[in-house]
Order: sequence, then structure tokens, then C-alpha cells
Amino acid sequence: MHRVIRDHLEEVLAQAPLAGPAKQHLEDCKECRDEVMRMRNHAIALRSLRSAEEIEPRPGFYARVMERIEAEGPASIWTVFSESPFGRRIAVASMALALAIGVYMFTAEQPEPGVLSQPVEFVSGTIPGEDQPGVVLTNSGAPDRDAVLVNLVTYQGQ
Amino acid sequence: MVRRVQARDELAFREIVERYQAKVFSIIYGILRNHNDAEDIAQQVFSKIYFSIRNFDFRSSLLTWIYKITVNECYDYLRKKRVRKLVYESDFSEEDATRMEASDPAIDPATPMDRKLAQQDLVAKLLEKVSAEDRSLILLKEVEGHSVEELAAMTGLNENTIKVKLFRTRQKLLKAAQRLGRGRSISK
Repeated sequence: MHRVIRDHLEEVLAQAPLAGPAKQHLEDCKECRDEVMRMRNHAIALRSLRSAEEIEPRPGFYARVMERIEAEGPASIWTVFSESPFGRRIAVASMALALAIGVYMFTAEQPEPGVLSQPVEFVSGTIPGEDQPGVVLTNSGAPDRDAVLVNLVTYQGQ
Repeated sequence: MVRRVQARDELAFREIVERYQAKVFSIIYGILRNHNDAEDIAQQVFSKIYFSIRNFDFRSSLLTWIYKITVNECYDYLRKKRVRKLVYESDFSEEDATRMEASDPAIDPATPMDRKLAQQDLVAKLLEKVSAEDRSLILLKEVEGHSVEELAAMTGLNENTIKVKLFRTRQKLLKAAQRLGRGRSISK
């Protein structure tokens, strides 16, 4: 729609008499004329929402309003999240973020595979060449078992 | 009176309810066409007024503020109803959109009552496609019949701003009508 009509649109829609360039433009420009016609149809349709008569509520309306106010109480901060679509989106996004952080923290705390995958055993015995019994720290497994056997043999031989 | 309600004076609140109840009912009924819903929503509107009147800053008139709350409540109700129904827009047919674009209900004396109701329903649905502020403004203009000067005084905006906002809203409504009609035909 051209500016000359846009500036006078409310008068055009109200079917007020136009003069000068606006009137001339509306006669010459089909595009503006069509858009004005469609807007006028919308305006007429909008006016159909006007209630024909003044509607009064049933007696006791004020009492019912007060009952409702007492029942509802002032809105809490949480109604922002439960009632508005934007609030609900924020709540869902926050929950998703919290879940993602939780999952990340849980997985980050798991030990890396291969490290300390076998239990450490404390083996009591005397280390060859030493008088005092000592403690040998080993991982369980075949080579460690050999070390224990060696320790035992050495101990029995002393 | 507003200051008294802000100070939780119940007599002043009662005055507001009694002064505006018929107006609120008429606005709701104009949009929803249902007496039972009108009672429920009107109660909700006054409850909202009671709890939020402390935020009323006198930049607009009290009527404009109440009008906005009422229209918003109607569209909240329609939105919730649509969510329940899931396919609220399915009854907006291509023919509806075409009729909206092409017909002139004011000069068609043979229009039956049910067609008028369908037209009202359709307009109410189209208004869902614009923002709450734009919706209130266009309804105040077309349904309540206020002039641009009156709207400027009621809202505290200048006349040019009102004209620009009205123009943009009218364009959005045209686009919404076209889009709804086109979307329907694509899905066919």
C-alpha cells in the first residue's frame, strides 16, 4: 500500500470523503484499492464482534468474584512458570540443562578404563635380603602370584 | 477510586466491579458467544484486576486497562480450549478464508444467522494471530468504535503511533487470513 493512502487509511476505512492526492491515487492505483477493500471487509467482520445488547451478569456476581479471589489468593511466583507458555519453556529448558549437567558430572567421575581395574592387594612377607617382614603392594594377577610364591619360599628357607 | 482499590479498599473494588461488569460481560460475549464461559471469564478478569491493580500506572485509562485484561483472558481461554481440542484450526477452511477476503457481509442482506456466527468465530480466530496489544487496539477501534484521537488519549500514545499500529495490525490480519487459507489448501 502506498504512503499517500496509508496516511489516510483510517478515514478511507471509515468511508470519510477523501480529497486531493489521496482520492486521485485511490482511483488510479488498483493495488491500493484492492488492499483497502480487503481491509474494509476485515473491519466490517471485526465489528460483528460487537455485542448487540449490554449483558448484565446474574445477581450475586460481586459475591462470586470475592469468593474466587479468596479461593485463589495472590498469585505465587511459580504461576509464572505454570501459566505462561514462555514460563513453561523456561522451566523445561532449565530441567533439560540440569539433567545434562547431572549426566556430564556423573560420567566425568567414572574412572578411566584400565586404570586401577584390578584390585590392589597387600601381601605380607619378607623381602629377600631384608630381615624385617615387609609389605609388598601388588596388583592381583599371574605375575604377582609368582612374586608371592617367591616371597613365601624365601621365608620358609630362612 | 483506583488508588483506594490499590490500598485494598473493598468498597472501592465493589464500585469498580459494578461499574464495569456489564462492559466486561459484553466484551467477553462478543468474542466467545457463550453465557456460561462469559461468567467464568468475567470472574477471572475481576480477580486479576484485584490482584494486579497495584501495577496499574495510570498511563492508560482504567477502561483501556480492563479492556486489555478482558480480551487477553478471552484469548487465553481460547488457547487453552484449543490445546484441549488439539485441532482448533481445522474448522477454518479455505472457503472461510476466501469468504473473509472477498465478501462484504454488510451489503449482503441475505446473510443467514449461522453465517454471521461463523464469521464472528473466524474473526476471533484471526485475532489470535496478532499480539495482545495489537488485538486490544484494533478491537477498541472497530468493536468499541473509538476514534484515533480517543485511542491516543486512552492509551497515552500519540495519534501517529496509533495509526501506524492500526495499519500494521490490519496488514497482519490480512496476511494471517491468506496464510491460513493457503496452509489449508496445501494440506489438502
